[in-house]
Amino acid sequence: MTDAAGLADLIAERVGDQASGWDIAGELPRDLLVELGGLGVLCAQVSSEHGGPGLDSRANGELTASVGELCSSLRSVMTSQGMAAWAIRRLGSRAQQHHFLPRLCAGELAAVGFSEPGAGSDLAGISTSIVDYGDHVVVSGRKVWVTAAHYADLLVVFGTYGGGATAVVVPADTPGVRIERVPHPSGCRAAGHAGIVLEDVHLPADHVLGGTGLPLSLIVTAALTYGRMSVAWGCVGILRACLAAVVEHTDTRVQFGVPLAQHQLVARHIAELYVGEQTAAWACEHASASWDSNCPDLVVDAVLAKYTASRAAASGADRAVQVLASVAAADGHVVARAHRDAKLMEIIEGTSEICELVLAEHARGRTGRSRS
Amino acid sequence: MTTSSAYTADLVAAQVQAFLTERTKRTWEPDTDLFAAGGVSSMFAMELVVHLESEFDIVISGPDLALDNFRTVKSMAELVVRLREAEQ
Repeated sequence: MTDAAGLADLIAERVGDQASGWDIAGELPRDLLVELGGLGVLCAQVSSEHGGPGLDSRANGELTASVGELCSSLRSVMTSQGMAAWAIRRLGSRAQQHHFLPRLCAGELAAVGFSEPGAGSDLAGISTSIVDYGDHVVVSGRKVWVTAAHYADLLVVFGTYGGGATAVVVPADTPGVRIERVPHPSGCRAAGHAGIVLEDVHLPADHVLGGTGLPLSLIVTAALTYGRMSVAWGCVGILRACLAAVVEHTDTRVQFGVPLAQHQLVARHIAELYVGEQTAAWACEHASASWDSNCPDLVVDAVLAKYTASRAAASGADRAVQVLASVAAADGHVVARAHRDAKLMEIIEGTSEICELVLAEHARGRTGRSRS
Repeated sequence: MTTSSAYTADLVAAQVQAFLTERTKRTWEPDTDLFAAGGVSSMFAMELVVHLESEFDIVISGPDLALDNFRTVKSMAELVVRLREAEQ
């Protein structure tokens, strides 16, 4: 297994103090993404057999948190690349894994399209179709808010197929594919969110992962479980960045004759931020332990981690803005970014409300009635 | 680790039934459809995939994720035996 701490140091060195500028410009340097992609760090759980670093979930989680602490846009690109790799690993045949996974560790960038104009939380309503014509398939539909699609070379697109559903790997330069960038996202502004328009896109049949119709809810859960882990760990990073900024500011800023930290109402904010960071990290560590021991609980634990960490990040970032006040009221500032980015984490990869439905169902005796 | 020859379809079925009983607090006949009305959720389908992989040291990916393979205790036992034989 590759040294995760070494990878984290390398990314920190490359990011330096540029995250603020990337946020304001709404763009990450493509050559940096290609370099990091070539090192396999954007999808670090891909095994060495497929040219990846082969980190376990816990080590990749710590790496993800360290990137999330610096730049949630870059961390979002990691989430997308990792989720694409995981979808290929989970849904693809061995030949497809051997074909695509090394490319994702050699500098090609990837994004995953779930949501559509008429299908967000209710993904059962997706209308993108993958139609089989023997040696080739034709893909038609529209995806919205696809993180990193602006940068991606390969798009993993979910659609209906053969009486069920599956995902298809679409090279972004295939005729009929159009990428329409979300002009001004409110958070993770440099993550390259875009819509994907697919008009009669012809692809070889071997680009269809699985090659058969699969239950949509099962394959979406499979892919999203990775995404939820990644977002949750990213939120731990957001909390660490906020906590560091708050501790630094409240130690040095003097009002009413004493540093801010000595005011009790301010101290409560520090305590709550610390509690949020610790609880989020525990939920993530627990879920990663389930993942790494291949425990069936990982599915629900990932939802619990994402729910806990995103809520802690949103409320923690809110506190951090309150404490830093005008200092954090400037776009690009680490806490200003955290405030905008964290809110989106309560929405992406399953809203807090969808997470609540899953958790409630789980609590009601581990299994509920089928909704499909 | 148990040798593969020890995993007959009947043994796998018994193990899967035990897991289902633990998780759902009810018993399952070999031919009962888990996903029919009143059965188990789609989240649970993913938990089943992970459990079978972990318990029987197999990888279930691609076309093997078809729901029919998880519909009954019997179909899951057949899937496990087939994948273990393919690994040999």
